[in-house]
Amino acid sequence: MMPISTIRSDDLPDFENPPLNEVVVGVQFAPPQAYQLIRAGEVWRLFASEFPHVEEHPPIMPAFELFGGPPGPPISLGINVQGALHNRLWFLSPDRDQIIQFQPDRLLHNWRKSLSPSNEYPRFESMIARFEKELTTLEQYFMSLSGERLLCNQCEISYINHIPMTGGDLPNRAGAWLRFLNFGEPEPDDLSGVIRRVVRSESGAPVGRLNCEFVMDTRSLGGLVLTLSIRGAPAGADIATAIDFLKRGRQLLCVEFAAVTTDMAHKIWGRVR
Amino acid sequence: MEVWRPSVGIERLRALTGANVASHSAFSSCVVSAPVVPWHKAVTDRLEQLLKLSKGWDGYDGVAVRFENATFAIKVLELVFPGHGPIPQIVPGATGDLQIEWHMDQADIEIHVLGPYRVQAWRATAATGRDGEEVRLTNDFAIVARWINEMLEPRRAAHTTAA
Repeated sequence: MMPISTIRSDDLPDFENPPLNEVVVGVQFAPPQAYQLIRAGEVWRLFASEFPHVEEHPPIMPAFELFGGPPGPPISLGINVQGALHNRLWFLSPDRDQIIQFQPDRLLHNWRKSLSPSNEYPRFESMIARFEKELTTLEQYFMSLSGERLLCNQCEISYINHIPMTGGDLPNRAGAWLRFLNFGEPEPDDLSGVIRRVVRSESGAPVGRLNCEFVMDTRSLGGLVLTLSIRGAPAGADIATAIDFLKRGRQLLCVEFAAVTTDMAHKIWGRVR
Repeated sequence: MEVWRPSVGIERLRALTGANVASHSAFSSCVVSAPVVPWHKAVTDRLEQLLKLSKGWDGYDGVAVRFENATFAIKVLELVFPGHGPIPQIVPGATGDLQIEWHMDQADIEIHVLGPYRVQAWRATAATGRDGEEVRLTNDFAIVARWINEMLEPRRAAHTTAA
């Protein structure tokens, strides 16, 4: 396997001080048949040396990006079926700024901004290299149970940006930060929305969906939360293909971020490319 | 009398942004829930039943329908099946798979969910003959949406005529 480059690609937009608050990379896979809830502690021990804290959270339901028609109203299955899903576990780093999220059909890795001055975004290249190792570690564990490999069926990458709009001389108009908003006077007090686009391969086949979600509330949030994410099925079920999907997704999100935000915002965040 | 109006109307927001701008949920408490699509309850009840099948349910080694397959099947139905139409039969497979089926005068359609993104779809109509036509699908279900639309078209025409 080719080594993963930890050097940032030269052709992507880059900022000295982006408003990044959280980054999530994740993979969903077929739950291994031999895994049972009682083994959750064994999974934690795989990562416990770097992630010594544990929290329990409700599970995330399986997600699939499908195409070919307008989606109808969403329906959900009850999860009161024995063994359907068990709770999601968070394994947290000592500073609680890095989190591995595990449930039998998912592994995710989050970086989130904290108040610690040493809490600098580790950059995608090192984050994805780390996530690939974590997936491989989990796969080796599952293989030790019954020889089952990870069968990845969905990938997800999200960038969550918190854009302050109050304090100092920051403009408090949404249109000053997001290129596609222009309300004139008076400005709304709060707003939210989602823009969704299909991501296609070179042959035109749909491979995923890009979501651009924005919530502005200057009173409770103090500004805008802009979440950019891509979800979709990798071209193959192995880890390398899933990682490739995430890398391609990240490239699209970087370009999208620069496209939807304004030149003035870029200046404030120190755009260098 | 003073006329009350929001500072920026939702229609104006849409016109200005061209985006799917939703109002904040300040008024949501007075909104009546959206009508439930008729087949939702029947389908989810049936799937929850199939998720609880005991091992050997078929007299052999059959296992319950796998949760991710049932969830995937629902996502397919959300996409391809309109709000009104005959409720499909849902048949479990022996290995955790399942099949969604319509058998009508005009057409037979079967969607076999082998796993997430692993689907075989088949239909037979007067035009295709008894052997029908079969496709393998992953994430794009446009062809099945078309098949179902064509299957339901005579029903719609009959309802329109009756009305």
